[in-house]
Amino acid sequence: MLTKFETKSNRVKGLSFHSKRPWILASLHSGVIQLWDYRMGTLIDRFDEHDGPVRGVHFHKSQPLFVSGGDDYKIKVWNYKMHRCLFTLLGHLDYIRTVQFHNEYPWIVSASDDQTIRIWNWQSRTCISVLTGHNHYVMCATFHPKEDLVVSASLDQTVRVWDIGALRKKTVSPADDILRLSQMNTDLFGGVDAVVKYVLEGHDRGVNWAAFHPSLPLIVSGADDRQVKLWRMNDTKAWEVDTLRGHMNNVSCVMFHARQDIIVSNSEDKSIRVWDVTKRTGVQTFRREHDRFWILAAHPEMNLLAAGHDSGMIVFKLERERPAFSVSGDNLYYIKDRFLRLYEFSTQKDNQVIPIRRPGSTSLNQGPRTLSYSPTENAVLVCSDADGGSYELYIVPKDSIGRGDTVQEAKRGIGGSAIFVARNRFAVLDKSSNQVLVKNLKNEVVKKSGLPIATDAIFYAGTGNLLCRAEDKVVIFDLQQRLVLGDLQTPFVKYVVWSNDMESVALLSKHAIIIASKKLTHRCTLHETIRVKSGAWDDNGVFIYTTLNHIKYCLPNADSGIIRTLDVPIYITKVSGNTIFCLDRDGKNRTIVIDATEYVFKLSLLKKRYDQVMSMIRSSQLCGQAMIAYLQQKGFPEVALHFVKDERTRFNLALESGNIQIAVASAKEIDEKDHWYRLGVEALRQGNASIVEYAYQRTKNFERLSFLYLVTGNMDKLSKMLRIAEIKNDVMGQFHNALYLGDVKERVKILENAGHLPLAYVTAAVHGLQDVAERLAAELGDNVPTLPEGRVSSLLMPPSPILCGGDWPLLRVMKGIFEGGLDNAGRGAEEDDEEAAEGDWGEDLDIVDANGMQNGDIAVVVEDGEVQPALM
Amino acid sequence: MAAPDHLFALRNNFYLGAYQATINNSDIPHLPSDDAVEKDCLVYRSYIALGSYQLVINEIGSSAPTPLQVVKLLALYLSGSENKENTILRLQELLKDAAIGSNPTLRLIAGIIYMHEQDYNEALKHTNAGGTMELHALNVQIYLKMHRSDYAEKQLKIMLQIDEDHTLTQLANAWLNLAVGGSKIQEAYLIFQDFSEKFPMTGMILNGKAICCMHMGRFDEAESLLLEALNKDAKDAETLANLIVCSLHLGKSSSRYLSQLKLSYPDHMLVKRASAAEESFDRAIQANA
Repeated sequence: MLTKFETKSNRVKGLSFHSKRPWILASLHSGVIQLWDYRMGTLIDRFDEHDGPVRGVHFHKSQPLFVSGGDDYKIKVWNYKMHRCLFTLLGHLDYIRTVQFHNEYPWIVSASDDQTIRIWNWQSRTCISVLTGHNHYVMCATFHPKEDLVVSASLDQTVRVWDIGALRKKTVSPADDILRLSQMNTDLFGGVDAVVKYVLEGHDRGVNWAAFHPSLPLIVSGADDRQVKLWRMNDTKAWEVDTLRGHMNNVSCVMFHARQDIIVSNSEDKSIRVWDVTKRTGVQTFRREHDRFWILAAHPEMNLLAAGHDSGMIVFKLERERPAFSVSGDNLYYIKDRFLRLYEFSTQKDNQVIPIRRPGSTSLNQGPRTLSYSPTENAVLVCSDADGGSYELYIVPKDSIGRGDTVQEAKRGIGGSAIFVARNRFAVLDKSSNQVLVKNLKNEVVKKSGLPIATDAIFYAGTGNLLCRAEDKVVIFDLQQRLVLGDLQTPFVKYVVWSNDMESVALLSKHAIIIASKKLTHRCTLHETIRVKSGAWDDNGVFIYTTLNHIKYCLPNADSGIIRTLDVPIYITKVSGNTIFCLDRDGKNRTIVIDATEYVFKLSLLKKRYDQVMSMIRSSQLCGQAMIAYLQQKGFPEVALHFVKDERTRFNLALESGNIQIAVASAKEIDEKDHWYRLGVEALRQGNASIVEYAYQRTKNFERLSFLYLVTGNMDKLSKMLRIAEIKNDVMGQFHNALYLGDVKERVKILENAGHLPLAYVTAAVHGLQDVAERLAAELGDNVPTLPEGRVSSLLMPPSPILCGGDWPLLRVMKGIFEGGLDNAGRGAEEDDEEAAEGDWGEDLDIVDANGMQNGDIAVVVEDGEVQPALM
Repeated sequence: MAAPDHLFALRNNFYLGAYQATINNSDIPHLPSDDAVEKDCLVYRSYIALGSYQLVINEIGSSAPTPLQVVKLLALYLSGSENKENTILRLQELLKDAAIGSNPTLRLIAGIIYMHEQDYNEALKHTNAGGTMELHALNVQIYLKMHRSDYAEKQLKIMLQIDEDHTLTQLANAWLNLAVGGSKIQEAYLIFQDFSEKFPMTGMILNGKAICCMHMGRFDEAESLLLEALNKDAKDAETLANLIVCSLHLGKSSSRYLSQLKLSYPDHMLVKRASAAEESFDRAIQANA
């Protein structure tokens, strides 16, 4: 038994799998119904409206509904999407044992301690039939999956099969009068729509469970007499076929396995038993220490079972579903049923090669586990768990690939695992003595060698080497030299996948992937929250792997991501370009074509193959926030720039990568003060004076603009700024500009106009403007300030600018590898959106450069009244 | 578990003709003294194989242990024709010495020297008793030189019993297979193929594979293998000789390889036989003229 999931809770009385999603409902003795995701191992929801134990629960096949029945005599129909009970069906007069939806019709069948079975229409919310006849508690009632039958089990020691054909006919063509009639019938005579077809007598005690076979006319039942009985029926009668004895206490639930010829039963004797249907013998028994089992459920589509017991429930499968396979060049050898098959990747041809021994069904889960193939000798080693671990060696005849049906006498042996270590040598693990036996193709021991660590499995690790696995580490062991070549601490490794060049190895454990070199030098570790299933290396050194529900990639630097989701688990056998070859659980070869763009792109970026990156940007559609964030995080904002259409993001990326042209274009689109300001800061950093000027102009930041003109020595524009300040009546601005210009007369004039006559006088006097000074002195009259004597004053004149006009030498912006090529590419792509903007930009700049600020412009500005004096 | 074999890699490299690798990797710490002598032997023999005779002669002093003295003899023997007779005399002296006469290294070197002298009987006198894998392997080689593959096979059987997976066993097996020919060539090829998978490529492995390919008529493949070998060592006599043969079969000109071989190894078998054949041809012409 392979346990997939376990819960601890109150006693579990009812279980139901969802047909599509990895969900299971568990109804508890405490009255709670739990909804679990058994794949992730999380409790999704709980429904707590029943009063007292809930014994029956069932998912609808296609609607987001489930039904439950409890000891409060209520049947409740719930919508799990809405997290609530939709309605309650009342009618039963005692505990309800089981409830079940019909596959097609809007029906529910319920079994109750009131000795009746009822069929309800959950759309009209009415009881459409009451099946009476049992004269004790009815413990279970279920619809036949295809025919119009119901089987029920009761403590009256009988199993009954009911024919509900009449009920179906009526519902399918519900003429009004018949409906009315039947309603009357139900009320008066207890219903004629459902009649007892067979009464199966044979159990000596009350019967707890009865179930149909999914396709054959068989019924299985389990009772308090500790027996499981198998019944057969035809059109006219039903009879007992056999009895399966073994349980030590009441059998609580029993069912046919949908895919294998086995019966699964559980009991209050704390065991689950598996029986062979054809041989009618016990195959396997699983025991629990303290917990009595109460209920079993089978997944409607997958190979999963669940069992509820005193302190929780378990989800499990009986057998591994991973086909054993081995890849050798273009060939895939794998085992399906009892044949070794050969699949050629290039031609996708699939051939049966030789039959192999079928493990006896007396021992479940002993099918082939691993396969090892030696291409030169055409020999195959098949390992299984049979006899506590054993192997079989087959030689594939070169000529007669195909039809033969006789199993060749394989050479056998006992051993934990067996693998080829050279073309004609294989190693067999002897766990008891912690030795490895090297054998030749005649199955003779050639050499024995002790192992350096307590090994419980061996894997291939190149010719002459072994990869030995212990609980918490793996080592590579050279068989000839008896030397450990490398070791690595790992979680329990389940599978080992070597790259094609044997330089890298991926060690897969339940929830982690470890990538290491051939000497087991650790490269990276990836953790997954759900089970890792399989993997293969692609030709570029990317590891492609599958989890239960995803195909994912792992780059050499441990970056990983999802390629696509999966409905069912698959086992990757080979990756070739963007084609993934895999085996599914039915042992069928499938090919999946994936979009490899994302990881190839990331890999190119990682390997600094920028030419490839560029061509990928040009040719393919890569976008999305994730990619932009990735590029930004990896230090490639300039690449990200080419994926972004959103102007704000573009602007930020452009600033980050120093691409001022694109930043300007974006700023124009956005046209917000904050963005202009930031553009100005970046342009200033780069020394791109004209852009700085432009940005200041757009934000009307006259003060900074003036200073910029001063620094760049642009006297013309500075004087224009003076004019603007004048027009705006901004005295401080005028004064500053005059100061920057070194225009003393103007300064005096401004001071005078502002009413600072003493200051104006001093300024004029100091700068030797005698006539003005005299005029001012006259105006001041007695208040002429005295000038300090005997001091030679230095005049307040602006220094002559180092460089006049134009841009300063620009800061070198790291445009790097994507220069040119990408710009063009970007332009090309963005032409539609931004053609106008780009054109405008060119002209705009020209205007600014050539004419500077025209008075006309300024007048407009002023008239607009946008200018805020506070700016100054 | 047996104690790890410290000298395994060294020996293996030596057997497979990776002489420089043997020398480079000879620095192994904490060696027991027996192993240290064997290590020195391997290193000096590697130098001899690389043609550095004088280095060996100078480095091995008179106080060195017997095996090293013997290796020095080999170096002396190979270093020039004038030493040959003295060396052989010295060798015979040592062999007569009861104390050291049965030393395996001594017998091995004796075998090698007599094989060079083409005195196979004398060589077998010393090596026939066997004792080490190298001696057995040498026996196989001598028997093959004598065209007695039946005896060689017997020797090989002994080796197979001792250690089937030993590099020398495999190598001897490959030699025998090559000598026997026919369907055995495939097996020889597989052995060389195994070597190439397990160990770093050497000229010897490449040549081995190439010879198998030539036997199987796959001359194109052989040529590419030989050119790869030539890349590793442009002056290797065997590679050159095989290339000459291979080129002839492919209808390509082999004169450059031949002249290179003549210059570097005037004593090579192929050169001798070619010139002998030329002489015969000339004589035949003169006879007919």
